[in-house]
Amino acid sequence: MFKLNLKIAWRNLWKNKVYAAINIGGLALGLTAFVLMLLYINYEKSYDSWSPELKNVYQIREKHDFFTPDNKEHWQEISNSRIAGIIKESVPQFTAVTKIDQEWGNGFSVKIDHADPVMVKGIKDADSAFFNVFPYQFIQGTAANALKEPNTVVIKQSLANKLYGTDHVLGKEFKLVRWRDDTGNSLKITGVIADVNTPESIQFNAVSHTGDQDHDPDQIGSSHYTQIYAKSEGDIDTLSANKSLQKVYVDFKKKSFAAEKLNFKDVYKDGKSPGLKAISLKDVHPNPPFSLNWLDKLKPVIGISIFLLVVSIINFINLATAQSVQRAKEVGVKKVLGAYKKQLILQFLIESTLQSISALFLSVILIEILLPAFNHQFNITLSFWHNEYLFSIVLQLIAVFIVVTLLAGCYPAWILSNYNPVSVLKGNYGNSLKGITLRNVLVIFQFIISVTFIIAIGVMHLQTKYISGKDLGFDRDKLINLRTGYDQNFADKIRRIPGVQYVSTTTQVMGNAFNNKSKIIYKGREVNLNGVTVTMDALQTLGVKLVSGRLFAKEYVQDTINSVVLNEAAAGLLGKNMVGQTYGKVDYQGKTITFQVVGVIKNYHNEGFDKAVLPTVYKVSHLGGTSNTNNLLVRFDTKNYKGVINKIEGEWKKLYPDFPFQYQSMDDAFSEILEENKRFMNMVVLFSVVSVSLSLLGLFALSTFVAKRRTKEIAVRKVLGASNFQIVNLLNKSFLILVVTANLISWPIAYILVKKWLEGFAYRIDLPLYPFLLSSIISIVIAVLTVSIQARKTAIAEPVAALKYE
Amino acid sequence: MIQLTNIEKYYANKGVKNYVLRLVTTTINQGEFVSIMGPSGAGKSTLLNIIGMLEEPTYGTYHFMGEDVTSLSERKRIELYRNHIGFVFQAYHLIDEMTVYENIEAPLLYKKVGSAERASRIADLLDRFNIVAKKDLFPNQLSGGQQQLVGIARALAAQPSIILADEPTGNLQSAQAEEIMSLFKKLNEEEGITIIQVTHSEKNAQYGNRILHIADGVVKEDVAVLS
Ligand SMILES: Nc1ncnc2c1ncn2[C@@H]1O[C@H](COP(=O)(O)OP(=O)(O)OP(=O)(O)O)[C@@H](O)[C@H]1O
Ligand SMILES: [Mg+2]
Repeated sequence: MFKLNLKIAWRNLWKNKVYAAINIGGLALGLTAFVLMLLYINYEKSYDSWSPELKNVYQIREKHDFFTPDNKEHWQEISNSRIAGIIKESVPQFTAVTKIDQEWGNGFSVKIDHADPVMVKGIKDADSAFFNVFPYQFIQGTAANALKEPNTVVIKQSLANKLYGTDHVLGKEFKLVRWRDDTGNSLKITGVIADVNTPESIQFNAVSHTGDQDHDPDQIGSSHYTQIYAKSEGDIDTLSANKSLQKVYVDFKKKSFAAEKLNFKDVYKDGKSPGLKAISLKDVHPNPPFSLNWLDKLKPVIGISIFLLVVSIINFINLATAQSVQRAKEVGVKKVLGAYKKQLILQFLIESTLQSISALFLSVILIEILLPAFNHQFNITLSFWHNEYLFSIVLQLIAVFIVVTLLAGCYPAWILSNYNPVSVLKGNYGNSLKGITLRNVLVIFQFIISVTFIIAIGVMHLQTKYISGKDLGFDRDKLINLRTGYDQNFADKIRRIPGVQYVSTTTQVMGNAFNNKSKIIYKGREVNLNGVTVTMDALQTLGVKLVSGRLFAKEYVQDTINSVVLNEAAAGLLGKNMVGQTYGKVDYQGKTITFQVVGVIKNYHNEGFDKAVLPTVYKVSHLGGTSNTNNLLVRFDTKNYKGVINKIEGEWKKLYPDFPFQYQSMDDAFSEILEENKRFMNMVVLFSVVSVSLSLLGLFALSTFVAKRRTKEIAVRKVLGASNFQIVNLLNKSFLILVVTANLISWPIAYILVKKWLEGFAYRIDLPLYPFLLSSIISIVIAVLTVSIQARKTAIAEPVAALKYE
Repeated sequence: MIQLTNIEKYYANKGVKNYVLRLVTTTINQGEFVSIMGPSGAGKSTLLNIIGMLEEPTYGTYHFMGEDVTSLSERKRIELYRNHIGFVFQAYHLIDEMTVYENIEAPLLYKKVGSAERASRIADLLDRFNIVAKKDLFPNQLSGGQQQLVGIARALAAQPSIILADEPTGNLQSAQAEEIMSLFKKLNEEEGITIIQVTHSEKNAQYGNRILHIADGVVKEDVAVLS
């Protein structure tokens, strides 16, 4: 029986090739989207899982408000370096503690002998305990000895191969230059470790031990912030460990406040509180300190891909039940020949399994084709076959497959096996209305999804257009940032190059937004502003727009002392007519210094449009603040500045032979900011296209079946004198009602979703009406076209054929 | 073999009962060849469907081979289909996706007949009905009469004790009809298979040995055919 059923299944598929192809193709699309998601989730879940020993590794997080994007307290990955020593001394649960310096800038310069310097990212400076905490596997050297001495470095095999073309590099030396005029450290390679096969939250290519991390700053008032990781010997009770951490931290804070003559209560007010905790390494990646974690970010996408899978399953069910009409006789006859209902259900389940297996194969092929593009889109490296977790992914796939097959197969099988033989054999199965309501509901459901997508694309397109065309408040044309500190000598040299208009620096610019809290007292009121330090002509370099007063200028001596410029946001906080007003600011010695506002400029953007421009005060310092602003702005007065940049590079090479020349144009910085949004938009577009085409496939197939089923009715109507147009209309009407209903339902849904998305932008468009109208028109037109193609085919057929056949 | 007592069947329409069958009481014995006749709409098909357990009577009792059919489980009924009842339809109702051979084979598969036995029975039937050459064709490649031969072959494959046929020759020319009727007669006489057929043709009814005349759901006459 099984063999015969397979044969019948095959003949049926063959007879309905087109629909079978649609069915299988649709399901394959849905499966593909879902499996890609599955791969991505597996990838994210695999973070920091390259060794079982990592379960004993913890990241220490301190709660503080330094270096935060919003100047508020967060549990941060970087902590006061002194904490490491305290943990080592007073928290016995942790047997090893290591400090890892934050990486800053765009990587470090590595100079091997007399070769040109190359930039290498991910060289982390740590203390000697790094490999006591992290169980990396040494290919050369040993974990115990590698970083013992200062000025040593352990590099990953991949980097060794890149730099030297071999991993036999033990004992070789290279010079590490961390910033432009760093004298550099000569580091000796004392170990090579194997690359790991899962993504890591501490991404690095090499770990250096320069010795800088071996001691904390001498003065109690200054602190150094590093990442701190600790290791326990076996399982520990994290709750009690965290209690001890909190206790030693509070003690430490009290002690240092006493030394700094600060009052504990004064510091921790307004809801602030001291905090120190250890989180397991596996929780580090899912819990980034500032942004949403990957799962939350991904939730809409997961939702969408499940939706797509559901849509394709719906198509499958729809087509199968529509087709079941043709199978009714088979069921009726088999029943009177003595088939059990169970056997019939099994038969139809086997048929849908056959189709879903084909879909599965197709989707595996699709995944192989799509993965490179997907990887590019998400900037990750996923692979299906070479996946560390292939086994578990295959298991998940099988589970998905079984669920899909059951979902798609059960309902049609049940409908079919329930046909009553008498009515079937009497010949009125053709008009059976069974499942019609459900099919209609499913079509509506699909169109709700599609219409919502189209609306979303429309709104996103408008918002994207709005922000990419938005006035940034400064002139990003002909402006580059050299990503280095300000040096008077170098700046003077490049000022002399023809084509260069301004050279300046600022602590904050697009592409390198560093927020620094600055508390002022204005008319007895404390106000928190964002403080930016600039050189005299930085604002001119940026090309900001003056609202009132003046910008900084050399002619005013006081400008380097106590003049400030506010942006409109800050002026708005303080009051009207701010030019000429003064405010006070307490310096670190407790003295109040008076500053005078000399100008107010229009807000200009340093960050994405999801963030509002902070109320900011600009202040000149002779050196442009410290030497490591890491921004050196150069404005050109010519459009063709390529040659000018080459000349600047020439000057650079003369002065800084050990550090490669790097720059970013403000145009690129801006595109980078738009990038994330663009990615999201691309993804929505992709998913919409898939979803809309799935719905159309479904509608196409369904209308074919309806047309087919009504062939005789249509023939009779034609004989009675109906025109082709009237017949096309007849068929369209029933579908049009469904599509219109779907539109009505999707409007409020899309409204809520799109509104929520827009609210994520500090700068956004008003919710426009026309994407809604447009999507309705598009969906209706496409639906009518799809149905009409089928209906016309039936309508223009010779009526005799249909009538004779009966 | 079949014992019907006070069988009634009605359809309620807007509270009004439309009787299709009224107080039908009759017994059909093993080996009989019964023809049911009557005007269109008299309830012939309904009666045959009740006998074939495709429909349930609204009232009355029905014993098939000594068993009360009304209390029969689904499973038991399917067992009866597999082992005792063969259906032949006016519209043939062959399965379009199966070849002639496969159509005849289907009931044997449900009955779980071994493959050697299956092959020999099918070969026998194909031979007997002269359709060996057609065994790999699909139903839509056969003439109506040929399709009905396959339909009968399929009904016979499971070696039933009774064949229920609703206007088996309704769609056929008289020559083909005669062929099928003499086939029925032969099966009845030589193999002792009980046959119940619905027919409009007096001539066809003469092949059997008993005629039930039905009008307005009531058995008007029950006559023996003299051969
Ligand atoms: N589902 C139903 N609902 C209401 N009435 C029905 C239904 N099925 C059958 N009938 C009625 O039952 C009566 C008997 O039908 P049946 O099919 O038994 O007639 P018949 O004697 O076989 O006629 P014919 O010779 O035309 O085949 C008819 O009047 C028909 O209208
Ligand atoms: Mg009838």
